[in-house]
Amino acid sequence: MRLHVGAGPHGAKVLAAAAWGPPGLAWAPPGEHVVPFLTQPCLPALQLDSGAVLFSPNAICRYFFLLSGKEQDDVANQWLEWEATELQPAVSAALYLQLVQGKPGEEALAPVREALAHVDRGLAQRGTTYLTGDAESVADVVVWGALFPLFQDGSCLPDNLGLLGSWFRSMSQLAPCRAAAAAVLTPEGARELRAHLQRQPVPSPASKRPATN
Amino acid sequence: MAAAAGPRLGAEELGLLEKSLGLAKGNKYGAQGERKTPVLQTNNGPSLIGLTTIATHLVKQAKKEQLLGNTAEEKAIVQQWLEYRVIQVDGQSNKEDTRIILKDLNSYLEDKVYLAGNNFTLADILMYYGLHHIMVDLTVQEKEKYLNVSRWFNHVQHYPGIRQHLSSIVFIKNRLYTNAH
Repeated sequence: MRLHVGAGPHGAKVLAAAAWGPPGLAWAPPGEHVVPFLTQPCLPALQLDSGAVLFSPNAICRYFFLLSGKEQDDVANQWLEWEATELQPAVSAALYLQLVQGKPGEEALAPVREALAHVDRGLAQRGTTYLTGDAESVADVVVWGALFPLFQDGSCLPDNLGLLGSWFRSMSQLAPCRAAAAAVLTPEGARELRAHLQRQPVPSPASKRPATN
Repeated sequence: MAAAAGPRLGAEELGLLEKSLGLAKGNKYGAQGERKTPVLQTNNGPSLIGLTTIATHLVKQAKKEQLLGNTAEEKAIVQQWLEYRVIQVDGQSNKEDTRIILKDLNSYLEDKVYLAGNNFTLADILMYYGLHHIMVDLTVQEKEKYLNVSRWFNHVQHYPGIRQHLSSIVFIKNRLYTNAH
């Protein structure tokens, strides 16, 4: 099994989730055609020993947790789907404003405000330390990994979302998340993320997209 | 080729899925946000939000867990294609997006019967529902160009209980165009 990690914003997510995967997982440098059937280059990607390739960051995270015997319930599935459909477009838009257009903090965070409030409300409604219960799950790793490139040490998180802030900080203290953060928070990593964002089409948050019918 | 941005099936599609799973009718679906994300109000708990989340829940309710994959690898692959369905297929906004989806699926399905390999899963069902409005508009020549997608689609539409009232799409067995690539 080989994990290919690229410069995109999903690195922290899959590297943290890898702690639940097999020990001694090999990392490979990003190759040109890791996912031969996809037209667009796609990283991260996980090559399995069977020959199958996982190209969705969330599916890679799911797989690592499944290997450690942790199945995903309805609540976890819902967070993962929300992260992919709602949070990720919002984070991409905010990262673009922050890193490519150099907008100041407040302005750059506008696209993610509603999503941040959603996480805070989710924690309040369940009344648990983590998103799906009192222990961290794949949902926490995936949502934390999505927010990490934008907030890093968490100091820029809105003060009025206290539950979000304490959840983010306790996630950041977990050994797998600390190791993932150290791996992506390098000057080279920052340059690559910026270059990656510049190659993408200008993102628009999901809520700003024209309704399709 | 398909028109841009096809219909978002949402609640209607979940009704089709319920029936194909043999579940009694009775669930009512709402929709929220501009993406019209489906919402299911469960009897004894908080509501569930999202097409793939609700679909996965329905499969477990019908006790047909094999449709979610048998091994860790198969389960991850099923969820990956469900995500691809809601992000890529539902997110397509022009003909070029549609072309890339068909091209990539065609390449992926070259050596597979179904999306997760040899076993029919929920990924096939939701991908079939999501692609139906695209396949219905393909020309004979396009169906030949995306031969593996056509073969897979034809398998799924003949799978018992899946197609229901959706139109049956005709695929010609003998190739008409020899230079379809």
